[in-house]
Amino acid sequence: MNRSAGLVGFLLVMIGAALFVWKAFVLELPLAATDAEGLWRIELEITARGAGRRGSLRAPLPSTGPGQVVFDERSASDRLVFTIRTEDGDRVGVWSGRFAGVHQVVHGFRVQLSEVTTPLPGGIGRSPSRELLARYAGSTREFPSDASDVKAFLDKLWPSAPENPLDRLRTLFGFVADEIATVPSASDDALLTLAAREGSAVGKSRLLVTLLRAIGLPARTLLGLQLFEGQTPITTQWVEAWIDGQWIPMSPIDGFFATRPANLVALRTASLAELETTAVAAVGHRYNALRERLRPEELAAMMTPASPWLARVSLYRLPVSTQSALRVLLLMPLGALVVALFRNLIGISTFGTFMPVLIALALRQVALAAGLMLVAAVLLLGILGRLVLERMHLLLVPRLGVLLCAVVLAVTSFALLGREVEVRELSVGVLFPMVILTMLIERFSVTLAEEGLRPALVRAGWSVVAAVAVYPIFHSAKAEHLMFGFPELVIVVMGVLIWIGGYTGYRVSDLIRFRAFAKPAGGAGS
Amino acid sequence: MRLLQTLRREGVLGINRRNHEFTLRWNPRRNYPLVDDKLETKRLCEAAGIPIPGLIAVARRQGDVRSMVVELASLSQFVLKPARGAMGNGILVVRGREGDRWRRAGGRLLTDEDLRYHAASIISGMYALGGQPDVAFVEELLEVHPALAEIASDGVPDVRVIVHRGVPVMSMTRLPTRRSRGRANLHQGAIGAGVDLATGRIVHAVLDNAPVTRHPDTDRPLLGIGVPSFARVLEIAVAACDETGLGYVGADVVVDARRGPVILELNARPGLAIQAANRAGLVPRLRAVGERVRPGATRAERIALGIEISVSRDEA
Repeated sequence: MNRSAGLVGFLLVMIGAALFVWKAFVLELPLAATDAEGLWRIELEITARGAGRRGSLRAPLPSTGPGQVVFDERSASDRLVFTIRTEDGDRVGVWSGRFAGVHQVVHGFRVQLSEVTTPLPGGIGRSPSRELLARYAGSTREFPSDASDVKAFLDKLWPSAPENPLDRLRTLFGFVADEIATVPSASDDALLTLAAREGSAVGKSRLLVTLLRAIGLPARTLLGLQLFEGQTPITTQWVEAWIDGQWIPMSPIDGFFATRPANLVALRTASLAELETTAVAAVGHRYNALRERLRPEELAAMMTPASPWLARVSLYRLPVSTQSALRVLLLMPLGALVVALFRNLIGISTFGTFMPVLIALALRQVALAAGLMLVAAVLLLGILGRLVLERMHLLLVPRLGVLLCAVVLAVTSFALLGREVEVRELSVGVLFPMVILTMLIERFSVTLAEEGLRPALVRAGWSVVAAVAVYPIFHSAKAEHLMFGFPELVIVVMGVLIWIGGYTGYRVSDLIRFRAFAKPAGGAGS
Repeated sequence: MRLLQTLRREGVLGINRRNHEFTLRWNPRRNYPLVDDKLETKRLCEAAGIPIPGLIAVARRQGDVRSMVVELASLSQFVLKPARGAMGNGILVVRGREGDRWRRAGGRLLTDEDLRYHAASIISGMYALGGQPDVAFVEELLEVHPALAEIASDGVPDVRVIVHRGVPVMSMTRLPTRRSRGRANLHQGAIGAGVDLATGRIVHAVLDNAPVTRHPDTDRPLLGIGVPSFARVLEIAVAACDETGLGYVGADVVVDARRGPVILELNARPGLAIQAANRAGLVPRLRAVGERVRPGATRAERIALGIEISVSRDEA
């Protein structure tokens, strides 16, 4: 090995390792993710544009309550004043000021979610307070519980003596959940939903509340977020009915009753509005969510380590969307390391230098088996396409274009198939980045054309082997936590890569190629 | 482990070491186009008076293809090549004319249309490194020298000479077989036969990395066969490498039956199989060159040095 490369590599490894050891053992930052259940970091991003007039933005903020503990709230907004108000028992964030040009508002918080089961009381028990009745039992435009249609429907359902209210609650829930179709494009209105026997998710929730109020039970809709790991959260709504001093959660769309799943965050009870504005011209907003792998106290240690200098560079303080991107990005050096080992120490050839890393990255979104099937299908398509297209004597770029079209069609039909047979992996496969597939098929078909089927298959095989070797690293929560919490490890990887780059010894492939030297020289050369 | 020790003792050069200590160190990147583009190499050699196969036609754009194929109508033998192909890919050898069609090496008949398609594929970059647009050219077909005819099937053997800092250090001849379909490419089943620098005779031979002593198609013994005009082979190999400004080159020379040795192409990243063909490592010879080559030595002095180094190593 070259001496200067050895020295530089050694220095880098030592610098990175020293930082790592200091953080891990002196500052005692957590080395392994404990994988806290149900802890999320959520951010609301609002983009607003104004024409110079005073105005305000109002968005619901979650409160701590059954099934959710909200903490670590922070808000950033440029040129606006932020206040929190309580309206009808909900917390509402208000950003006000003179809106000129584009304003960006970010409100982030962490929330610990848990599944809550509300035990159903034996009977109606305590009667609601006057205030509760005033707010949640009356007929409103949104919940027209004294409309004649509602009355007629209930009379038809229960012509004789009224049952126990709890049984009536179950009957009404079952009716709205099972006999009203959920059609996204259908009406949001309770009465229209009742008349058509189909409604949007909002329409069904409103209908259930209307019917519950009509039989005398206080009821309300809740606006909330539904969280999925690795995906953007979606806003949703469900219903709560007040019985014997408790709110019983239920959803005629997601089909839960009395047990609220741990992936829901309640945002607001007074209305279903996600954002209200005054004097603001155009507005866009979205929620981002990230599942935290650390317990709250570990997170606190990561965000504000004992050293103020480190606290400033903690990646845990970045916006959620940046964090998600960095978590993937910081794994890439490990992929590069594996590929360098494969190519320079073992001596296998792969498509492109870091194609295996990209394949592994693509596989990260799909289950390994489904992803490999997809890769195999794409390669097969490449071979078939070439067999057919070769006869037509097409030029290289249009021919690759035709192959790309075939890949798009194949992936599209995979997605349809995935939906039909409800194999979730297949339809997630649509997200399998198209660029990577295109590059793969291009490399593959060029090698096929230049060197023939065998070398192309061998190289594809080795690319897949290297990708499969990288895959567990990309999929490991441990590796992700280590690289994200201790980014100085990238410097260590750099040092090791410099070592590999300076390695002048034999590759495994050299040994195989020159194996004849192992036998004593027989006559020749003497 | 024993293999590893043997390789170290024999001084076999591995890919990592070749890249570090020889190609990266001695071959400046900016000079690569001189050898990666075969037309560049031809121009360079022609200007220096080094013999090359005659250039018949060049097609740089798709529009040139039609007129190039028209030009070929009067010929019955030629080779169509990409200027920047690698490992012999995209080379089409035409051996004869039958009516209005050509007979390709290996027997298949080709129409004008087939030839135009092949040339167009070359230009579209199908055989070039990295798929960049390329240039197609036609050169004269070389003929097997009678001295080698019996140990080469269906194709023309070439002689690879490794030249380090102007000194020839090792050579081998690549003998086509029926399995390699006339190609002088070891990956495709050609024989690699080590040629002694001092005598020009075959001293060792391998097929698929295993030693052989006879040609598998003709059953002729290989060892002891001499490459004709070998002194001239070394001379033009060294002369061509001098022109490139590269310090670690593989020169491919063909001994044509009529014209004698001509430079076919040069390679800035020559492979390592030559060591198996010679059953000898490159490292000690390359080191010796580093220690003993004098700046400003004449071509003859450098060739003499290369021979001396190879002989003393063989005796050691």
